[in-house]
Amino acid sequence: MKWMLFGPETYIFLVAFFFLILSMWRGPHSEKDHVLALALSGLGVVISLACLGAEGLLFAGAYRLDLFSQVFKVALSFGLFLIVCLCANVEEIKRRYRLEFYFFLFVCTLAMMLLVSAQHLLTILLALELSSYSLYILVTLRRDEDMGLEAGIKYFLTGIFASSIMIFGMALLYGATGAVYLQDLAQVLPEVMGTPAAVIGLLLTFGGFFFKLAVYPFHFWVADTYQGAPDQVTAYIATASKVAVIAVVIKLIAAVDQNSTYLIHVLAVLSIASMTLGNLAAMVQKDMKRLLAYSTIAHSGYVLIGILSGGTAGYASAVFYALALLVMKFTVFLVVVVLSPRGKNLEREELAGLHGRSPLLALALMVSIFSLAGIPPTIGFMGKFYVFMGAMDKGLFVLVLIAMINVVVSLYYYLLIIKAAYLGHSWETPPAVHLPQPMRWLTGALIATMMVAGFYPTPLIRLSEAVARSLM
Amino acid sequence: MPGVEIKGALSMQIEIAGFPYLSAILITCVTGLLVILLLPEERKGEIKWVSAGFSGTTLLLCVYLFFAYDKTRGGLQFVEKVPWVPSLGIQYFNAVDGFSLPNLLLTGIVFFTGVLTMWQLQERVKEFFALYFLMVLGVFGLFVSMDLFFIFVWYDVSLFPMYLLIAVWGTTRKEYAAMKLTLYLFAGSALLLPGMIYLYVHSGLNTFDITALMQPGTFTTAQQKFAFPLFYVGFGILAGVWPFHTWSPVGHAAAPHSVSMVHAGVLMKIGAFGVLRVAIFLCPEGWQYWSGVMAFLAAFGIIYGALAGLRQTDLKYVIGYSSVSHMGIVGLGLSTVSVEGLNGAVFQMFAHGIMTALLFSAVGHIYDRTHTKEIGELGGLSRVMPVASFYFILAALAGMGIPGLACFWGELVVFIAAFKVYPVRTVVALLALVVSALFMLRVVQRTFYGPPNERYAQLSDVSFSSGIPRMILAGVLLLFGLYPALLFDVIETASIPFMNGLPR
Repeated sequence: MKWMLFGPETYIFLVAFFFLILSMWRGPHSEKDHVLALALSGLGVVISLACLGAEGLLFAGAYRLDLFSQVFKVALSFGLFLIVCLCANVEEIKRRYRLEFYFFLFVCTLAMMLLVSAQHLLTILLALELSSYSLYILVTLRRDEDMGLEAGIKYFLTGIFASSIMIFGMALLYGATGAVYLQDLAQVLPEVMGTPAAVIGLLLTFGGFFFKLAVYPFHFWVADTYQGAPDQVTAYIATASKVAVIAVVIKLIAAVDQNSTYLIHVLAVLSIASMTLGNLAAMVQKDMKRLLAYSTIAHSGYVLIGILSGGTAGYASAVFYALALLVMKFTVFLVVVVLSPRGKNLEREELAGLHGRSPLLALALMVSIFSLAGIPPTIGFMGKFYVFMGAMDKGLFVLVLIAMINVVVSLYYYLLIIKAAYLGHSWETPPAVHLPQPMRWLTGALIATMMVAGFYPTPLIRLSEAVARSLM
Repeated sequence: MPGVEIKGALSMQIEIAGFPYLSAILITCVTGLLVILLLPEERKGEIKWVSAGFSGTTLLLCVYLFFAYDKTRGGLQFVEKVPWVPSLGIQYFNAVDGFSLPNLLLTGIVFFTGVLTMWQLQERVKEFFALYFLMVLGVFGLFVSMDLFFIFVWYDVSLFPMYLLIAVWGTTRKEYAAMKLTLYLFAGSALLLPGMIYLYVHSGLNTFDITALMQPGTFTTAQQKFAFPLFYVGFGILAGVWPFHTWSPVGHAAAPHSVSMVHAGVLMKIGAFGVLRVAIFLCPEGWQYWSGVMAFLAAFGIIYGALAGLRQTDLKYVIGYSSVSHMGIVGLGLSTVSVEGLNGAVFQMFAHGIMTALLFSAVGHIYDRTHTKEIGELGGLSRVMPVASFYFILAALAGMGIPGLACFWGELVVFIAAFKVYPVRTVVALLALVVSALFMLRVVQRTFYGPPNERYAQLSDVSFSSGIPRMILAGVLLLFGLYPALLFDVIETASIPFMNGLPR
């Protein structure tokens, strides 16, 4: 039953291939394609769940399957399914590319699944590039060519720059240690940790991932790319793609973490800078997607706290945070996608009067925004709390304090969103929002998930702990 | 490996004594909230009746608990303990003692009367009562919880509905006030959470259980000295401790009546109660170390609130600043490190809560009729609406500390206790109170006596039915003013054992 080990990947690959063939076969047919993609991605979730227990090594040890990778594969396929749910109306994407749009979505998900399992530096690199290139293309698919192209080119240029830095870093690491497998690296690294080549190599390698994670000095692309990309693609970058990158960063740090205080300090500084910059910049944004972009930068800072805390508790908290981010960010984007006016981005002020137009969406927005802000009893609060516990255990009191101050700062712009949705009166009262029944159920389920997992997080915490233990 | 996950779980088993009354209160709130959410917006009358029904039920439960509490036994009663997140040491742990019972009763009374005060509301009724229930749910939760983690959760649950409650249904500069209040209060939580996790990690017990953490010797003196200010300032912001009080008058003036009632009446008590339950319980040595500073800030708050209240022309601002001043008395009581001080402080929390609720409720009626809170525009109201005026004047007299009303006892006991420890600060604070009492009389005189404003000559007085909430509040003020032992007996069951257990 060795092929079961590679089940989700094989399946997603076949689906992607199927969409490629289909795009050559016939032109796009929005409704049919959407139902098809929905069914196929839904099946993908089922298959990933079925392969949850898979364990083993593949391809000469370059590919490792354990609870860690399999849980993240479920999360990724679930993220893909959620994004496809939003694609009922892909007006923003040029008509003739709509089948390719699904193709690249699936390919990108495949690449991320490879990423969370990869153990060999080159495999990691290849998987990361595959997912990046799919995203570069997805970003440019927007109907408004100027916006999409601008976003795509910025993303692409900074992206390859980051990749080349990362490759350079990996080369240095290889030079210093002679290891390309993560498990070898973990053994050799402590001996050479003092040498400049190893330290610089490590930092440059992380630079590539921090670019994807949108951590402070590598965050330039985020706002413009989020703004210019089609809404669904932005949602995908902000949710599924973030989850995958968090996973791989956890894995890397867990492999090289030798309780080096040096690394912890570097990460702590990056974390503080990301939180502070993200939250301060988000305050002045009017465009919802730009605002969410900066809030993403801030959230990367919070995730880093969990990662740098290390140990089972620290990694478990980062895993928990990643899963929480998937749900809450997606819910915000659901509201953004539904409300976006044709051909333009949603402005914060355009949320005005949402409580009258669609109470359900307004509630979903409120819960997810409070969750992002970290207000109990929501899943986002539990995530922050869990992350802070790990950091405090390391004695990083000041870091936790700064993070909490950031939470309060961020509350300002989050409250402005809620204010717009619950208070604002728009002049030409826009019509009530019509949500199809399945979408209503989805929205309700998301709200319930955020609240229940926030109030009774025990099962999710157990899962995160198990995931983190499988990594150690 | 960090130590968190290795240590065994401490007393992590289900422990429920008899019928879970405390959970019943919380569940009543949640059920009320859900029923309100399920009712359609148009059926305003039913929403109000449902709100009154569920809030009345919680009041009955609170009254029952207050009298069912076994004073001879004391200690924690009605204990409910369920493991919640075992790996993080979180328990669902509810219990009441002599400190929380008066506050619980206060919350029940203000909750119910607040619903009745808002009976005239017509705008977005469903959302209002839903948020109102959510806020009170947090308040109840905080008063009954004995687990640090849940205390933080309930603290935040009681705060965030406040933003919308003020911003949507408020009056004066409501959006500014709502934002200011929310950010201030959450800034407090930015100190609380690190403080709580700090204590959790340094206790090494892997539990957030307050009864376990408060055992002497759990924390070193240095840790207590370090953690105490975090909790004192964190909760103190909500308690209106000077100089973190500036949100309070602005917020109270802007909020709708019943929210002002709950906010000044109960939410500020959460702050003081948090200082008592968390800061003082867990860091008693820090408490003794910082008590001088506490007394100074409290005395300054009393003086500042009293003097700033003099210059206000808006009735609600007057009450807002008097709240700062009265909460200073609570702070002064807490800072004395004595049984009498604690007794007085908790009594004052209760009395001030009822008194402010009555004041805001009375102002609410006046504002609904006249649409102004400006003292200069009002005048001679006692001839137009004698009953409404009576309630306001009664509460104002209570605030001045007239014997026979509940506040008298709280203030008296606190000042006696404080005089022994901090004579100078107490005398200055007392003088400030006397001055402010004079000016409160002037407010009363200008608003309710003197030449009546013709514009308001035709306005109706409080009808019997809409006067019910004020009658209840006034009755409670009188009851505990005439028979204070009813409350002091309960408080002493907690304060005496607590002070005896303190390391000296």
